[in-house]
Amino acid sequence: MRQSKVWISTVILLVIALHAVPVFHAGLRKRIWPILDWAMYKDASPPGPIETDRKRIVGITATGQREVISKEAVGLSSFALDRLYAKPMKVGDSSAAHQLVLRLNRQRQDPFVEVRLEVETFTATDTGIVRRENPPITYRVDPTPSR
Amino acid sequence: MKRWIERWNAYWFPETTTRELCLSRIVVVAAQLLLFPPVLEKHINYLTKNSEFIDPQVIISAIAAVFPRETVFTPSVFTTLYWVTFVAGLLTLVGLFTRPSAFVFALCNWIFVAHEYSYGDRHHGEALFCILLMCYAFSPSGDSYSIDALLRRWRSRRAGVPVEGPRRTDTAMWPLKFVHVLLAMTYFSTGASKLIAGGPSWMNGYTLQLYTFNDALNRGMPFGIWLAQQHALAIALSIFTILFETFFFVSVLLPWTAPLFFIVGIFFHLSLYMAGGHDFFQHIVLLFVLLLFLAPAWWRAWLNKYLAILSARWRRQEQAQQPV
Repeated sequence: MRQSKVWISTVILLVIALHAVPVFHAGLRKRIWPILDWAMYKDASPPGPIETDRKRIVGITATGQREVISKEAVGLSSFALDRLYAKPMKVGDSSAAHQLVLRLNRQRQDPFVEVRLEVETFTATDTGIVRRENPPITYRVDPTPSR
Repeated sequence: MKRWIERWNAYWFPETTTRELCLSRIVVVAAQLLLFPPVLEKHINYLTKNSEFIDPQVIISAIAAVFPRETVFTPSVFTTLYWVTFVAGLLTLVGLFTRPSAFVFALCNWIFVAHEYSYGDRHHGEALFCILLMCYAFSPSGDSYSIDALLRRWRSRRAGVPVEGPRRTDTAMWPLKFVHVLLAMTYFSTGASKLIAGGPSWMNGYTLQLYTFNDALNRGMPFGIWLAQQHALAIALSIFTILFETFFFVSVLLPWTAPLFFIVGIFFHLSLYMAGGHDFFQHIVLLFVLLLFLAPAWWRAWLNKYLAILSARWRRQEQAQQPV
């Protein structure tokens, strides 16, 4: 076999073999792009209501302004914003709210003093989509980093 | 052992012209430049709003290990990188210094994607497409349909050497075959993980309804919201999804089935987008490229058949119009 073909064959085998790494090594799973673990939407759901949430984080500033906190304002993707802040806030994790406010206040003149998670629940029924508004989960936070 | 090596070579390194590879280069690079370019504003926003990475990708960790974060991961460096990517992409597209340009273009795109996925989020859409971009740097992707090829012919003419026709080589098909095998692996992995983690319950209809409802509602996809309310259809589509993903590898083992899998795959991803906003546009382009350039005999046969019917019809019409 020509040397170039040996090299190409080696790379092909190596890349194929590397795809086993994210499957078996959880620590590397998120860090070795473009070699990925391709398990997507893998978990099954039992029979039950077809229900989902729509979350929105709202901030209140020291001067009383109300602002919807977008992914652009935080500097993260919507998935990361949801995973790192919205989901923990939904289950009562005040440290996530605190971290979010510190992150946002770094570059602000009018700092946030309160963040609120607003959750709407939507259910698919035989007669259409039913929307339910849940009580907001509010976190009051010290706008300055603790020393 | 010798028989295995022969089989390996017969699969990966058949002797062909470089036309299919080079045409695929034009389609893939044009798609990357026009449809999937890095969004500079997004990267600058990440750089200015984050003082550190959340889950740094290996490529980004490697760069950060050599150069301090504050010198490389800055808006000005990324703006420069963006324009380098753009110029390298144009050069790869027209085929000038094709292989080095393809390497720079692929590497810059890798850096942009890895950077975006170093802030606590990661998706699958770009991975295989970026691997194919890199493959162009290590294959004769500038041998035809390129300025490099025109220059080579011009130099031959000037030197009085007979101009050679399209070269035949055994290293022109491996990039497309490689992407085909990787697609088969990844689809199989996706399908098998559903069967292992979810089991037969994955096809109970409720699973797909819930996933679709969540994605469609949060991404504003009306078709998906409607689909999430159709239980029987959800069961049928779940079974189809498992069958398609798990058995896509058959297209590698039985090449005559490949065009069918490619076409079904294109519609599969289009419907995933319409239902849940899953933007696997790179996979759609890959499947289209494989359909055009890895299985060209199939569509050429159809085209020839159609053209033959059309020309026979024209001849009949002409004969009918001639005076007796």
